[in-house]
Parts: sequence; structure tokens; C-alpha cells
Amino acid sequence: MQEGLLRIREVSKHFGGVYAVNKVSLDVTHGGICGLVGPNGSGKTTLFNTVLGIHKPDGGEIYFNDQCINNLAPHQIYDLGLVNAFQIPRLFYSLSVLDNMLVAAREQQGDKLFNSLFLRSKWQKQEEGLIEEALNILELVELEHLALSPAGELSGGQRKLLEVARGLMAKPRLLLLDEPAAGINPVLGKKIFQKIEEFSHNGTAFFVIEHRLEILFEFASWVYVMNKGKIVIAGQPQSIIDDPAFYTIYLGEE
Amino acid sequence: MGPLLYSLDIIVYIGIFGIVCLSLNLEYGFAGLANFGKVAFFLTGAYTYAILSQLGVPFYVCIIVGVLISAIVGLLVSFPALRLRADYLAIAVLAFGEILRLIVKSEDFAGGDWGMTVSPIFPYTTSSLIYRLENIGLIFIFLAICFIVVQLLANSPYGRAMRAIREDEVAAEALGKDRARFKAQAFMLGSAMAGLAGGLYAQYLGYVVPGMFMPMVTFTVWIMVLLGGPANNWGVLLGAALVEIFDRGTNIVKDYIALPVDPSDLQYILFGALIIFILLYRPQGLLKESMIRTKTLRSAHDARRSIKNKGS
Amino acid sequence: MFDWSQIFFNSFVTGSLYLIAAVGLTLTYGLSKFPNFAHAEFMALGAYAGYFVSEQLGLGLPLAFVFAFLAAGTIGLLCYRGIFQPLAKRGATIIHLMVASIALGFILRHSVGAATDWDPLYFTATWSAFDVGPIRVTGLWIWLIVTALTLSLVMHFLMIKTKIGKAIRATASNPELALASGINVDRIILITWFIGAGLAAIAGVFRGADTQIWPMTGWDMILPVFAVTILGGIGNFYGAIAAAFIIGLAENIGVVALASLGLSTTYRIGIAFVILIITLIVKPQGLAMFFRRA
Repeated sequence: MQEGLLRIREVSKHFGGVYAVNKVSLDVTHGGICGLVGPNGSGKTTLFNTVLGIHKPDGGEIYFNDQCINNLAPHQIYDLGLVNAFQIPRLFYSLSVLDNMLVAAREQQGDKLFNSLFLRSKWQKQEEGLIEEALNILELVELEHLALSPAGELSGGQRKLLEVARGLMAKPRLLLLDEPAAGINPVLGKKIFQKIEEFSHNGTAFFVIEHRLEILFEFASWVYVMNKGKIVIAGQPQSIIDDPAFYTIYLGEE
Repeated sequence: MGPLLYSLDIIVYIGIFGIVCLSLNLEYGFAGLANFGKVAFFLTGAYTYAILSQLGVPFYVCIIVGVLISAIVGLLVSFPALRLRADYLAIAVLAFGEILRLIVKSEDFAGGDWGMTVSPIFPYTTSSLIYRLENIGLIFIFLAICFIVVQLLANSPYGRAMRAIREDEVAAEALGKDRARFKAQAFMLGSAMAGLAGGLYAQYLGYVVPGMFMPMVTFTVWIMVLLGGPANNWGVLLGAALVEIFDRGTNIVKDYIALPVDPSDLQYILFGALIIFILLYRPQGLLKESMIRTKTLRSAHDARRSIKNKGS
Repeated sequence: MFDWSQIFFNSFVTGSLYLIAAVGLTLTYGLSKFPNFAHAEFMALGAYAGYFVSEQLGLGLPLAFVFAFLAAGTIGLLCYRGIFQPLAKRGATIIHLMVASIALGFILRHSVGAATDWDPLYFTATWSAFDVGPIRVTGLWIWLIVTALTLSLVMHFLMIKTKIGKAIRATASNPELALASGINVDRIILITWFIGAGLAAIAGVFRGADTQIWPMTGWDMILPVFAVTILGGIGNFYGAIAAAFIIGLAENIGVVALASLGLSTTYRIGIAFVILIITLIVKPQGLAMFFRRA
């Protein structure tokens, strides 16, 4: 395995003595879609949240772009280019869809207090460009017509789409997607993955948790299988499908 | 005092409390910080002005220093406040305000129970009418400045980021917004404005006493903001106007109509009922939260409207 | 130099009053998850209800306590049902509920004030001071301490041994789980609010008997009572007991210290505020970690 964009080394996270993530090591390399699968409760989302800085790891190191990010705050991790889309959408519901997208844009001149009051022309030009970018991405997920509606008015599936679109808007080096196709009809779900694949060709790396194995395996170039907090299988989708241990893991939990 | 002077008085108070309402709107309406110690910063501005004016310092220095000190106190308070849950923050700042009031009540440098006199900006010797008009002019200039500042902030990426933090601070931080910075700045700016209002208040009345800075002032401002509409600058000004008019207006009524109940008690009972009513049936207030309108977004809205019109 | 035995006794008195007032608050705060500022008015209303029974009906102080408990408990229950529960159902935030409780406080305080013209009232029973060794005591204070200690024992028994107590603890820590295990959560909440307001009333009667009864009776005490609640850990009544006596001690030692330092004794009430702020900043859970959650 080459040196990865995201390198997780022996990372653990426990809650009250129960290890949700137990000495996990993995690499996500530049470019391509990397998958993370496993039965419910295997620790996938907790692993993501630990990488993002929402939880502090109880052991191990996490490196992003060769920098240790264990003790960084979430906004600093974002600055390095690591962004995520939450499993249950965390949208800004009283803001419009377009505003949700604009919050995600990076290096906004208008984020500074002084600029927003006194140097307004500096960021107004930038915002024009950002609005166009945002509308383009919204078009990809078929939400463009709702750009000015409050995010609270979106349906469940539409919220998921906005969550993903917002992550893309952040121009990440690596985007963590937690079940992007959940709650979305299969046709649109496949379309999302096609868009993700397009983005991956342009240099964005993706690390995707997904339960719809048939969609994920069609697009992912490498998959990690997690069970009870540990990585148990790793490899290309084809080799995982051929591995009998894979089915034991999933069937075993039923 | 004749009705004309009394009405002008009301307008002065609308101006002063309008500024305080805008400051709470910034902190709570836009940034989601439940500042239940507003009166602490109002007090800081008022007493700073008072102490400096007694030392003969020119009025504009008194105002500026009052604003700066209130801002610094606001910044200091914000450090522990950032980590606290909404209700803990509210109670902590409430207690802080009471401690400040105890200090000015007990210490001689602040005049103790009897307070201090304050040199007004405009001399009393001119007619009462002109005194009020001059103050209205001055206060409303400051009100306009504060309004423009908060409005510009709200309608900018800065304001958008602030509202995002208010809605979901975990998501906002994951999208790169340093919530500590935004909250600290909101608190500092809000406290500065409250301090400004405090200074203007002190010089208008010509004196400060601790009894003018009870928690009731904080609650009154909250009523104004909740009634008018949090996160809507016009709304909170409307709330300030309505509450002040009702509050002081009923005092006039007392002179003309004999009520079975003391009007000030009736006022509190009605205020209380009104707030509960608003919270139950119209929590967004009279004017809903203003949508973010930067120049570019405004043209987007207009474009959309014209498309809609073409289609229909 | 300092009369330590008197200071300690006074601390017990202050602490007992805070204890009775705070236990009710910590229960409702822990259960309904918002600070109820109208708790102050439950205290004041209790004092007035007690006055009504003891002075106007001439039935004496003991019955005053009983009636105050029942009257305030009912009012507390109605306030929850009529205001807080509907608000919570409509998705009100903690801050909204807190503001509603402040508004409710206005209504109650000023209704009582208007009805009594803001004249302070007094219980006619007089309590003469006598000496027990070096300590100056009054009979009322003894009763106050006895009541507080009895209350602590009763609450301990209630919480640990009885079905209702266990149900209250379960509902406070995990309402969904409690509901799933067949507990009538709605009824438990009503009972808790009834008891909480009732206990506030008892504190109010004691306060009124010790000083005077006027509409601000509760509001004057409410921030120290919040200090006790938070220092003890919200929802943790064992913590509240410890916190009540800690703050009582701090206040009484503090008063003596202030006087000897030449500072104004008006700062006495500020002692509880400072403890409150320090607790919130340093350790918001308060003493809860020392006491296995009831």
C-alpha cells in the first residue's frame, strides 16, 4: 500500500469502557473511492467522527496529508482539506439551500469581521463566483430549483442530497461520506455515485460508508470491512465478494 | 410633565433601548448566545461614563472609554461562556450582572446606594423641549450606526457563518467556522453596544443609581427582542418601541383613569402573559427572521422572481 | 475572636433553608431540563398561603405548612401542565422555557403584589431567642433544621426504597427507557412538579416566619438557591444537601470575613453568586460526581 492521504494508525475510541473503535489502521490514498462497510454498530461512524475531531481518539494517531491531526479542532481539520457529510444530515435548517452551500465554501474573505463591515466589495465579487459554483453542484443533485427555499422545507431524501452537495462545495482533498445513498431511490443513488466518480477523476478522494453494497462495490476501488470495532478484511471489491468470511460477518449479526 | 415632553421622553428611551435590543439581537438572534446578563454591560457603560464625567473628562472620551471597557468585559466574559450550555450561560451571566450591581451599590467610588450624578452632554439650562430634541438627535444617530453595523454583519458571509453556528455548531465547525472566534466577537460587539447605550442613558438622566440596573432591565430587553422577532433587526426595534410605549404610556393613563389595580403591576402581569402567549403561538416574533440578503443574493432573488413571473 | 459555634449554627440554619428550597428545584430542573425561575414564586405563594391559614383562619403555623405545601404543589402542577408542558411539546428550547418561567414569575409576583398592595405581612407567632450553651438560637430555627434533616431522610427513603422514587430517578436519567419499561412518565413528571413546588412553599413559610412575607420573598433567595442546585449537580438531591450546607457555611463565614476586612456586608449574597459562577466555569456538573446519582 502506498503512503496514504489519510493514514489511521492503531486508533481506538471507547465510551465508558466499550470500545467502538479498536486499534484500527487503514490508508486512504489520493484519488479514487475507498469504501468502508460493516454491520450496524461496527464502529464506522464513530471512526469518521474521531477522524474529524468530533471525538478525541483514546489511542493511536491520525495523519492527514502527512500532518498529525489528533489534537486539531474540527475547523482546523477542514482547513487542511478534510471534509465530511454526516449520516443524519446536519443542515442549517432556517437558512436557504443556497446559504447552506455558501457556508461550506472555503477561504471566504467575507468571514472576517473587518471585511464584512468595511471591505464589502472584496467578498461580493467572490460571492458571485461561489453562487455559480453552488448552483452548478445543486444542479448535479437536482436541487437547483430549490436553491432559495429554506433547508427545513426539504424532504428526507433531498436533505441527504444537500448534505452531500455541501461537502462537495467545500472543495475537499478528501471527502468522508456517511451513507450518501441512504433514503434515496436507487436510480438517483447510482447517479450520485456517478457524480462522485467524476469528482474523483478530478483529484478529490472519497472515503464512503455505505450499506448499499451493490452500488458501492460498483464504484469503489478499495474497500475496508469493519466488524465490532476492528478492520477484518481489506481489498478490492471483487476479492471481498469472493471471500466467504465477508458473508459470515454480515449474516452473523442477523 | 406635559404629554408632548412625555412622548419625546418615550422616543429617547426607544432610541436607547433600541441599541440594547440590537446588541441582544446580534448575540442571541444571530449568534444564538443567551445573554441574560445584558444589564451588566449596560451598567458598565453607564458607570464608566459617570465616573469619567465626574472627573471632568470630555463627553466623547467618556462614551468611547465606556464602549471600550464594556467590550473588554464582554470579551472576558465570553471566554468561559463559550464552553457553557445555553442555560448555564444564562444563569452565569445573570449572576455576574448581580455581582456588578452589588459592587457599585457597596463601593464609594461608584457612589454606593445613592449613586452618582452625571454631567449631561447637552446642558439642562435650555428648555426641556430642546433638551429632549437634542438627545433624540444624538441617540438616534448612534442607533442608526448600530443598526447599519448589525445589518451589514447579518447580510454577509460573516452573518451567514454566525447563523450556521447558531443552528448547528458541530456542523458549522466541521465546515471550517471557528465557533470560539465568532462567539467571542459577537459577545464583544454586543457588549460594546450595550455599553454605548448605558453611557447615553446615564448622561440623559443626569445620574446613575444601582436600582436602575436590576435584572428587570435584562428581562425587558428580552421581551422586546422576543416580541419583535429575533434575528430581525427591524423586528427588535419594533419590539423596543411597542414595549416602551406600552410601559410608559400606561403611566400616563394612570393620571387620567382610575384603575382598580396599580398600573405597574398590571403591566408586569400583561407582559408576562404576552411573553407566554408569544412563546406558545408565535415564537418567531412579530417579524420573522430576516433572510440573508447580500447584494449578489438579492439579484438571485430578483432573477428567480422574474422567472416565476414569466412562467405563470 | 470569631464565635465559631455561632457561625456553624447559623450555617446550619441558612443551609437548611436553602436545602428545602433547592431540593424541589433540583428535581424539576433535572427532570424537565430547564431552570424554572418561577420556583421563587412557589416559595412566595407558599408563604402567603401559610399566612392565610395561620393568621386569617387562625389555625396556627403547623397547619400553615401543610396547606402551603398542598396549595403551591397544586399551582406548580397547573403551571407545568398549562405552560411548560405545551411549550415543550411545541419544541421550545431551554431558553424559551426559562423565559416562560420568568414571565410566569412576573404574573404571579405582581398578582400577589397587587392584591396585597406590596405591604409586607408577618406571622404573629413570635420566636424568642434563647441560649443553648454559647449559641443563640430561636425555636423557629430549630424547627427549620429539624425539618431539613427530616426532609433529607424522607427523600432518601423515597428515592431509594419506594417504587415512585425509583420511577422518578429512572425518568430523570432516561425518559424513553422509562416509558418503555412501563413507567407512566406523564404522571411521574406531574408528581415531581407537585412535590417540587410544595417543598418550595415550605421554605417560603419558614422564610416568611423568620423575616417577613412580601412578594419578593422568593426572588430575593432564588439565585443562591440556583447556586445550591448547580453546585450539588442538577437533579442530584444528595448533592443539593451537601451544597446547601457548603453555601450556608460559606455565606456565614464570609459575612464575618467581610466585616473583619472592612468590606460591606451587602456582599453576603454575592458569595453564593461567586460560588455559582466558579462552579459553572470550572465544573458545571457540580458535586454530582461524588454522589452516586440518586
